[in-house]
Amino acid sequence: MISPVLQALIDKGLFDRIPATFSTFFFDQIKDYESLFPAERNYFERLFTLIDKLPKDEFDELFVPLRRAEVTMGVNEKNWPRRTFTLDQVDFLNRNPHYPAWRAEIAKLFSRLDPVLEEDVRRRGRPRVSVVLSPSDLPVGPDRLWTKLQGRRVPLTEPLDPAKHIVPLLSAGTPAPYDRWLIQASSDIAAPPGVVSLGYDALAAYRQRLMSDVQQTVEKEQIRGPRELGARLKQMKLLTSEGALARDPALAEFTRAVLLAGNGTLLINNTFVEWAAVQAVRRARPSCVVSSFGIRNKMKPFSSLLIYADQDKSNVIPTQVDTLGTYVDLEMFYLYIWQEFEKYAEYVRNTVHVFAAAAMDEILVIAPRDFTTPAKLDPAALAPKLQEWMLW
Amino acid sequence: MLSKRQFLQAAGLTVANQLGAIAAQPSDAKRKVIIVTFGGGVRYAETFSKDGLRNIPRLAELQPAGHFFRDCRNLGVLSHFNSTASILTGQWQRVDDFGFQPPASPTIFESFRSQRRVSPAETWAICTNKSFASIAPNTNVVLPKQLLLEAVKDVVSKGGELGVADRSNVQRRLETILQEGCEGVGWTIFKGGRQLDKKVRDTLTHALVEYIHGPEAPTSGDELTFFITREVMREFAPQLILVNFWDMDVAHWGSYSLYLQAVTRTDRLVGMLWDEVRENSAYKDKTTVLVLPELGRDGDINAANGFLNHRSGDASCRNMWMLALGAGVDKGETEGPIAHVDIAATAAKLLGVKFDAAGKPIPEIV
Repeated sequence: MISPVLQALIDKGLFDRIPATFSTFFFDQIKDYESLFPAERNYFERLFTLIDKLPKDEFDELFVPLRRAEVTMGVNEKNWPRRTFTLDQVDFLNRNPHYPAWRAEIAKLFSRLDPVLEEDVRRRGRPRVSVVLSPSDLPVGPDRLWTKLQGRRVPLTEPLDPAKHIVPLLSAGTPAPYDRWLIQASSDIAAPPGVVSLGYDALAAYRQRLMSDVQQTVEKEQIRGPRELGARLKQMKLLTSEGALARDPALAEFTRAVLLAGNGTLLINNTFVEWAAVQAVRRARPSCVVSSFGIRNKMKPFSSLLIYADQDKSNVIPTQVDTLGTYVDLEMFYLYIWQEFEKYAEYVRNTVHVFAAAAMDEILVIAPRDFTTPAKLDPAALAPKLQEWMLW
Repeated sequence: MLSKRQFLQAAGLTVANQLGAIAAQPSDAKRKVIIVTFGGGVRYAETFSKDGLRNIPRLAELQPAGHFFRDCRNLGVLSHFNSTASILTGQWQRVDDFGFQPPASPTIFESFRSQRRVSPAETWAICTNKSFASIAPNTNVVLPKQLLLEAVKDVVSKGGELGVADRSNVQRRLETILQEGCEGVGWTIFKGGRQLDKKVRDTLTHALVEYIHGPEAPTSGDELTFFITREVMREFAPQLILVNFWDMDVAHWGSYSLYLQAVTRTDRLVGMLWDEVRENSAYKDKTTVLVLPELGRDGDINAANGFLNHRSGDASCRNMWMLALGAGVDKGETEGPIAHVDIAATAAKLLGVKFDAAGKPIPEIV
């Protein structure tokens, strides 16, 4: 059920006053209210309350250019019904020759709205932390890790043990709902109570079923186009027998969406970790995220052809790990995860980013100036130091 | 009312003489054109940027011998089918991207065949992407990866001790599928009588044997695309070819290293294709090769997850390069922009074909 604030705005016709391409998209977003995180619900309430309160001249100034762009594109009641948003509309936008102009108007619109919304977020800012863990088997030392990032390299007095040195951070105090996340390729780290735990290995049963269902859908059901496929994928929900997350509507839908995003999240453990972390930050805005990567296996011969097949069953060649390939993959993912945090007002200038690797005696820290570390850090002091930063 | 395409298709070769009469005559009737796309999409960052050159050693080596266009733009829909269709039609295409519709205007293949009254064997589109079955109506369209996929799936489903590790078994399945009729895997081979049929099958079978027993034990769709292209060149010496490589679209899986490997593999295959052009007497000194990405991929500083996708419309997605090699190409570099819709217009001019395009022939090539 939609929040009273948003329902009141819908009832008073706000979504009918604003241009169709804008209102329909957001109407669709809030339709599945149960699957939204508190941060998303809060954002939608603030966004539409702000729009509703705009004086008429400012409202017109904001939306008239977009409305003009829609007329140029040929948006009408027939191709753009106000309460239904489907991939047909995405397709309409993408294939429209005036799409770049429409996109520019949307960007302009948010460049006016975002600063106001972000100022509100900044006023209520609090400390945040991100820890990105790499496996111990990478074929390089700390001097060749995290090369795309600029931060402080901090030597440790002994090699890092994630279970011993990082997990205590997650278990400190009492977590708020959806505020602490552990996302991992393996199942090496046990999540303390109250922490959202997503694991590639832990979701093996769901992944296998999805691969089989997707293969069946694509090959046997003669699916014609992304809209039909999208509708089928929506039905492939996580079962309680496949994971405890199924009991929480928001997390169950989050897991489904991450695995069926169209990228390699079903196929590659580290893609899952990266995309889940990026999506968690984008949607739930948690104050603490631990993202733990693993080692990717080598692709077997012809495996790129058999996307949804179980590689172990389809090819007798023994599975081998690809440590060098994993290293190259992760260098890019470190950058993408760090960037994702820095896109949102919640995290700018108040987030400590720790990049670490199991069994390695150096970490990389990107942090505000008031987060200080000694020249050489005892890894046992890392979690307490981060707890202190978080005021836990 | 018939569209221009329907008119051309309905008229077929029976009106070729009339159309030929109004077509510009070529300066060299034997000129051949090969358009090679880095299909799937590749960024400047991984190719002709300072750091990217290490991924494309063959193209970097060939660059001084050709004409390099630093700014080749895709201003259309950033999807695979529409991007390549825009390259082939000279018009920005906005059709269904899953191959359920052909391009909305005639391709250079259709105009060339109709106006120049050439045999079906003169135009081939050899594409790794399976949705490209309808990319070039009235042209031989071969989808090597789809053939390979069918064979591998069949080998896997039937089990067997070694599965796909038994390459001879894969070869047998590939040949069986060819015997059974390649239309089943989305191919279009125009029949020119029994002799051509047999010749086509023999040519493709030879390519499969080369592929399966190649010294590097190739396994990707693009490698089969190369072997089939080479055999088609050797047996039919077509005047106009599209070669669409595709392996680099593995970027969607989110593995940067696999994406880089695919880029380097495509670079190697393009180099081998160029070697064939130089060594094959049917092509040597009379062929213009145009190499370009069909689209880029999102930049790293982007909301759409960087190299994994190509949906943002940022410069990393739209602004690419083109390398022209071979006959009639002035060596050098051009900084100023050209666009994807210029490619078909350029090929038309080279082939002496009158062609209605939104783009213009590129002066440094024609």
